[in-house]
Amino acid sequence: MRKCLSLFMLILSSLLTLAQDAPADSLSADSLINALSADGKDETVIAAFKSTRLILTPTSETMRKKDLNFMVVHRFGDVAGKDGGSRTLWGLDNSSDIYIGFEYGLSDKLDISFGRSKFEQLLDLGFKYKVLEQKGDGSMPFALTVIAQMGLKPYEVSTNVFDDYTNRLSYFYQAVFSRKFSSRFSLVAAPSFLRNNLPFPYLEGNEKNIFSVSVAGRLKVTKRMGIVADYVHPFSSFRKDSKSPEFYAPSAIGIEVETGGHVFTVNLANAQAISPINYIADTESKWTKGQYRIGFTITRVFSFGKKEQNNY
Amino acid sequence: MKYIAIVLLAWLGASQAGGDSYVCKNAKVSIFSKAPLEDISALSGKAVSVYNPATGELVFSVPVRSFVFEKSLMQEHFNENYMESDKYPNASFKGRILEKVDVSKDGTYTVKAAGVLDVHGIKQNRTIEGKVQVNKGRLKLSSEFIVKCKDHQIDIPRLVFQKIAENIQVKIAADYSRYQK
Repeated sequence: MRKCLSLFMLILSSLLTLAQDAPADSLSADSLINALSADGKDETVIAAFKSTRLILTPTSETMRKKDLNFMVVHRFGDVAGKDGGSRTLWGLDNSSDIYIGFEYGLSDKLDISFGRSKFEQLLDLGFKYKVLEQKGDGSMPFALTVIAQMGLKPYEVSTNVFDDYTNRLSYFYQAVFSRKFSSRFSLVAAPSFLRNNLPFPYLEGNEKNIFSVSVAGRLKVTKRMGIVADYVHPFSSFRKDSKSPEFYAPSAIGIEVETGGHVFTVNLANAQAISPINYIADTESKWTKGQYRIGFTITRVFSFGKKEQNNY
Repeated sequence: MKYIAIVLLAWLGASQAGGDSYVCKNAKVSIFSKAPLEDISALSGKAVSVYNPATGELVFSVPVRSFVFEKSLMQEHFNENYMESDKYPNASFKGRILEKVDVSKDGTYTVKAAGVLDVHGIKQNRTIEGKVQVNKGRLKLSSEFIVKCKDHQIDIPRLVFQKIAENIQVKIAADYSRYQK
């Protein structure tokens, strides 16, 4: 029986060998090409966001090696309420904060940033590092980027309590988790820690350390335009309990447009400040009191590096 | 004995799929476009191709993500805004080389391949000229052709600062060896 089976197999094999001379059908070439090509599923997910920041919250994107990002961020005055209305052209006469900043890619995963705010004349210096990158096959479902920033207030704004120089310093750490759910929708969740060596604003009972969490997202409407929204929740009992002034959670909504190298954002936000060191500690404006403002962000990327290209 | 027969059968069955095919796992594809602000060029060395000289059948496929640009931002825009590589991960050509190429004889053949060019998910019937070089059992294929963005619905919005040319020059080069399992 066994011999019989073997014989049958051998005959079948030789038949197949003969069949090899017949023209291969297109299916075989197709399956061959499929076997040869990588499915590309294990690729790193790119461009979860078009820019390194949304309105308030940083994204998981960093500047790539030798790319320089130049940012101009502006927040106008209150649109409505007692400081708004037609008298101030709905806040356009005032600027609550102006931020000019630079980010430069030291490597494809690490960038250094420097910027200056009008709000408290804050100078900030920071690093942003991509720890994890999201993979297409789900082996890494999210990206993680960490931020460490140091703030310095070089001028005495409202107080003379800067006698001790270290009182001018603040530190900000953030872990930015992000996920690109589809080519249209990306979300970030970012727990953060802010330390002000001198509690800011300078009020009795204010805390030096504030934990907070940011949630922000982008929904692309077209390939180059999307809606972005931000919400930041500071966990601070002082801010929760304080009656005068009252503190609110910073939040914002806006439209983001990308035009090849430039990313523009036009937004509405209740937060007056642009730097997280400022807005987490001090957001005293409320949407329902008309204390929200028009703001915009302009970013432009300059590429100084050229990748190796072995042309043939 | 039975197992030997099964193994033999499996082996023969597998080699059958290859037939007389020639394969290339690291074909090069370069794209070039002249733009007013700066020339745009990119190169991929990760294209794959199968060619069967007996039937003339030719398949060529390149992962869109494998193109490397000089500037990383350009590369991102190429994938995100123009080619939408997460939706359409590969660009391919499937067709037939019309001329008979004799692989047993060394020489250079100028050939035409007719088939379907699939870029950005849009299929176009194309006849593309190229060259096949036979040298001691190895085959080399090279070709140069134009892909029009419009033909493949790669839209170039008016609101772009870096103007991008309508026509993209594509060069391919593949070095085949006989398929062996």
